[in-house]
Order: sequence, then C-alpha cells, then structure tokens
Amino acid sequence: MLRILFIMPLGMLLLLGYAVTTDVKRINTAIYDFDNSSLSREYVRSLSPGDYFITSAEYSPLLRVDQALKENRRNAVLVIPEDFAEKIDDRTPVTVGLILDGGNANTASISLGYASIITRQFNQRMLGIRPIISLHERKLYNPEGESVYFMVPGIVAVLLTMITVMLTSMAIVRERENGTLEQLMVTPITTPALILGKTIPFAVIGFVELSLGLVVGIVWFGIPFVGSWPLLYLLALVYLFTVLGAGMFISTVTKTQQQAMFFSWFFSVFAIMTGGLFIPIANMPQSVQYLTYINPLRYFMVIVRGIMMKDASLDILAPEAFAMVIFGLVVFMFSWLRFSKRIS
Amino acid sequence: MMRKLKYIAFKEFRHILRDPRSLMITIMMPVMMTLLYGYAVNLDIKNIKLAVIDHDNSASSRDLINSFYNSGYFLQATKRVSLSDPERILKSGAANAILIIRPGFDEEIDRIEADPTAYYQNGEVYQLGVVIDGSDANVATAASSYAEIIVMQYVKQQLPPDLDIPGVSISQQVLYNPDLKSSHFFVPGLIAIILMMISALLTSITITREKETGTMEQLLTSPVTPQQIIVGKVLPYVALALLDGILILAFGVFHFGVPFTGSVILLFVFMTIYVIAALSIGVLISTLARTQQVAMMAAILVTVLPSVMLSGFIFEIKMMPGFLQYVSHIIPARYFLVIIRAIMLKGAGIASLWPQAAALVLMTLVLLGLSAKRFKIKIG
Repeated sequence: MLRILFIMPLGMLLLLGYAVTTDVKRINTAIYDFDNSSLSREYVRSLSPGDYFITSAEYSPLLRVDQALKENRRNAVLVIPEDFAEKIDDRTPVTVGLILDGGNANTASISLGYASIITRQFNQRMLGIRPIISLHERKLYNPEGESVYFMVPGIVAVLLTMITVMLTSMAIVRERENGTLEQLMVTPITTPALILGKTIPFAVIGFVELSLGLVVGIVWFGIPFVGSWPLLYLLALVYLFTVLGAGMFISTVTKTQQQAMFFSWFFSVFAIMTGGLFIPIANMPQSVQYLTYINPLRYFMVIVRGIMMKDASLDILAPEAFAMVIFGLVVFMFSWLRFSKRIS
Repeated sequence: MMRKLKYIAFKEFRHILRDPRSLMITIMMPVMMTLLYGYAVNLDIKNIKLAVIDHDNSASSRDLINSFYNSGYFLQATKRVSLSDPERILKSGAANAILIIRPGFDEEIDRIEADPTAYYQNGEVYQLGVVIDGSDANVATAASSYAEIIVMQYVKQQLPPDLDIPGVSISQQVLYNPDLKSSHFFVPGLIAIILMMISALLTSITITREKETGTMEQLLTSPVTPQQIIVGKVLPYVALALLDGILILAFGVFHFGVPFTGSVILLFVFMTIYVIAALSIGVLISTLARTQQVAMMAAILVTVLPSVMLSGFIFEIKMMPGFLQYVSHIIPARYFLVIIRAIMLKGAGIASLWPQAAALVLMTLVLLGLSAKRFKIKIG
C-alpha cells in the first residue's frame, strides 16, 4: 500500500514532468534560399537563436513542399527570393515567403509572430530601419517560458486528488461491504465524528504527498517558489477538505468498492481534463467552462501556480479559496445527510 | 479445454451481471466522457484575458484596443481590475496580459498619416507596452505573438497600401493540414484513452476479488490451468469493452462528425486487439495486488496519467525528451492512437499499420504470460 501511495506517484511525477511539450518551439523550418548571399544567410542565421526555428536547407522541389508538411517532417517553409541582397542594398522592399502548417491555428500564428519580431530586428540591424511604432514586451513570472514550472505543480495536485478521492471513497464503502458499518453505528459515536475520524488520516497522507511532490518539483525540476509556504499549506488544507468531501460523497452513493472506484476514477479524470492543467480553460467552449466551476482542482491550480510563481497573497486568491470552501461544505453536508438517512 | 474456458468466462459474466450499477457505470461513463472531453480538449489558445491601460485616450487608441478585442484572440478582462496596479492584475489572474498605451499614440498615428515615410525613419520610437503573465508558458507565447501581429497589422492599415518600405517583410501562406490538432484529431485519441482506462479498471479486480473473498482456493482446486483462468476471466470484459468502444466511436462519428475514411472492419479488429492488451494490464495488476483497494488504485494510477500524457494524445511524442520517447513504447495507447487516427482520418490499411498491431499483440502476450506466471508462483 505504501508503494502505491508514495513511490508510484513520485515515480510518475518524475517521469511525467518531462512529458509536457506543448511549447511552440523547435519549428522545423525548411529553407529555400534562392539568393545564397551573405545577407540571406545572415537572415536565416537570425532565425536560429532561442530554439524557436530549427532551420535547415531543403533540397526537394519547392512545389512539393506541402508533402513535407503533410508528413510532419517540416512545420514551416521559408523562401528567400534571388534578389534578396540586391533589394536590401537598394533600399527597396523585398518579400520573403513563409509557408506555415495551418493544422494548428496556434502554431501558425505564433510562428508568424516570432518571424515578424526577428525580421523587424533584422531590418533595424541591416538598414537602420525602425518602425516608429513598435511593441515592447515584458514578461513577468517565468520569463524563460518553462512549461515544467507550470505543469509539475499541476501533476502533483492531480496525483494528490486521485489518491485522496480513491482512498476516502473506499474507506466507508469497505466497511459497508464487510458489514462492519453497522457495528460502528451502534457505538456512541456521532456521525460528524465518524466522518471526521475517517477522513483525517487521509488528510494527513494528502499533506505528506503534497509536500513530497513539491520537494521533488523544487529540488529536481528546479521550480521556483517565490510565495508563502504557510499560505500554500493553508489553502492546500482547504483543497484537501474539498477532495475528501468528494470522496466521502462518493462513498455515500455507492454500494460496493468497485462502484466507488469507478466514481473516483470518473471524478479524477474530470478533475484532470477540466482543471486547466493541460488545456487552458479559456480554450474550451463556454458551456464546458461553466462546468469547470464545480471542479475544485480548477481553483487549486490557480492557487498553487499563483503562490509558487507569482507570490500571490491571500487577498488575491480569496475568490478561489472561497469557492473551495463552499464546495467542501456543500459536499460534506450532502454526505452527512445521505449518511444519516442511510442509517435511520 | 475450450469448455473449461467457457465455464470460467460464464462465471465471470454472471459476476458482472450481479452488479448492474457497475455495469451501467461502465457503459454510461465512457460515453459521457467522450461527449464532455471531445469538447473540452482544444489546443487553440484564445480568449486571452487582456486588460488595457490607456493613457492616450484617443480615437486611435480606442481603435487599436478594438482591433485587439475583435481579433478573436483576446477577451476583455472583466473581473474587478484596479488599473493602478498592473502587477496585481496579473497576479490575481484577472488578466493574462496588459496592454499599455502611453500618451502620444494618436499623435504618432497622425504623423504617419501625414507623412508615411516618417513610419520608418530613424526617429524617436513610440513604444506600446505589453506586460504578459508568463506562468503559463503557452498562453504567454501566444499572447506575445498575437499582440505583435495585431499591432503590426493595425499600423500597416494606417499607411497607404502602395508605400515602399525598405527592408524585409513577410508574406505568409498557411497550408491547411486538418489532420493535425483539431477535434477530428483529438476525438479518435480520446476514444483510445477512454478505452484503455476503462479496460484496465475492469479487469484490475477480477483476480484480487477472488483472493479477497477466498474463492481463489476453490478455483484452483478445480481442474483448470492458470492460463485458462486468466483467459476465461478476460473474455467477458472483451465484450464489454468492445461495446464501450463501439458506442464512443459512434458518438465520435455521428456527434462530432469525425470522418471515417477507412475500413470499419479493420478498425474493429484492431480495436479488439487493443482492448485485449488494455485488459491484460488490469489482469497483471490484479495478480500483483493483495487487496482490491490496491489493485484499483494501481490501475487508475498506471493508466490514467501515462495514457493521457505519454501516448501522443495531447503532447507530441516526437517533441519529448529521448528517454520519454522510449518509455512511450510500452504504452499501448500510443499504438492504437496511430491506428485509429490513420484508419479514420487517412483510410490507412493493414499494410501501414501492421507494426502497431504487432506491437499490441506482443504486449498482450507478455502481459498475460506474466500474469499466468505470477499466478502460478503465488499459488504454487
């Protein structure tokens, strides 16, 4: 059991932390340089730094280049006309062609954005041309653009969620299945005390998991932690409260451990897919976005990322904290009601 | 021999039917999940929340702001934003990015309109500012690129179309390759993922349940071999999982409109192979776990996250670090993802897909073989 609770999740964290690759980087670009002058080569070179464009000459015919895009060998094609250097020297406009793979609307726009900035800088360097209006960008928090910083806390939260919900939901159902629940009920223990007593051990396990996961994240993956540890733990407590509540609720609506497991599984997958982990909630259709409001992981994700990367304080995170508290209270209340009804 | 198999399968089938609630769940949930996540999985970054601090407050600045909001990429930040503290706006998540328009924007636009060549002379540069929340790297990159393009286009619009600006400009052409990254692309992947998860879950407790309830000894004193027990136990679940597969496939095609250009029969055959491989994972877990609790937790942990993250469903395997690409080879969903996408979207046939099918068959044999061996060890 200990292996499942701690070793497997940590192993998975170590593995999966590296899997996230939705970065639009390493755009495999085929270069057709029909000019082959030092200027054109300089232009191609200016695309290389920063791991955005991976450029290499392409020797297959230009007219067949869509094949390379379809086969996903290349993501973009840059065509430099043969009068490139000539026109630049003459200070007349010259156009390069950028053919992009439009399958992912994202990547095409982002590639164009990169290329535009690089081109603007090239023009300035070579011709002293500077557009009189330009955009200056400043990136706060995670300027290097590391997805790992964003994903690993998410994975930690997900693992925490899955395990806690599973354990909690099975706890009561197992007693019911084994018939020991009636024995418990004839003891002078009150329902709230029973519920609390059953969930506190899992809360503790949850805290340990969270701490271990965060330590791995910080020490192994180098994730920054600029916020307040006490605040994170306080809000983690609230989150555990909601997750335990969900597990508890599941246990009151199921009769066998197998059913409890299915519901836990369903809840976990729901939490993962709609929690804003891999896919920003803003990408989703409006109706699905409304649904995410009942996903407590959604709020905890904002909290964890906010504290770790942005040093968010409690007053900033108040809405998320509040939402979690409401969720927890509602779920526990329902559990209590169902539980009492079941017994009487 | 076949008769014994039949009896074991039949017994298992009766077990399943004895718990109608679970049965309903195993049929309803995958369908619900397909519906929900078919919509949710969407990698097109849009609706980026943008707050604007406009110190210029002119017709031009308002024009610019509108072109941001009309682009379809940016959304107006609606939560109570106090514009006096930009950092706080980003910290609270009220906005993902802030556009800052310093005073003088209108004048610059007027200057360009009066004398277009002033646009690129080496004079004082007027800078628009954008402050971006970098915590979600993808959204940040998208915001940065989109903003650059929008500003560029806006300014170009103020210039006469025939103006000769020295230097390099980009003419962009987008070739549509609808295979990649769209709901047509994700829904087949979703089918693969859901099938994997539910299959492993189904069989994860078959053997541990017998162990826990003590009926294992009875089973073993009967004249059946461990191999027969295992195969017999898996069979009913194959039917169940295939039923699930057909249901969610139907939803994919009829509700989400995913094209189906290949052979239905071929997909069905491959799906059966895949399902058996996925079920085998559950069986192996079942032989390794001592209690149902542990078995189910292991099943969930081992199948949910790795399948979603390492199979090529959302993240491209080719872009992952080398060692992870190796690891992805032991994830059955990886192979079926290729198969189902190829058959549905490109009409591929056995010729190009047999390696994947072979990999799945190999995996199944290994998993079931290991299960049988562990079985013998535990008992013997």
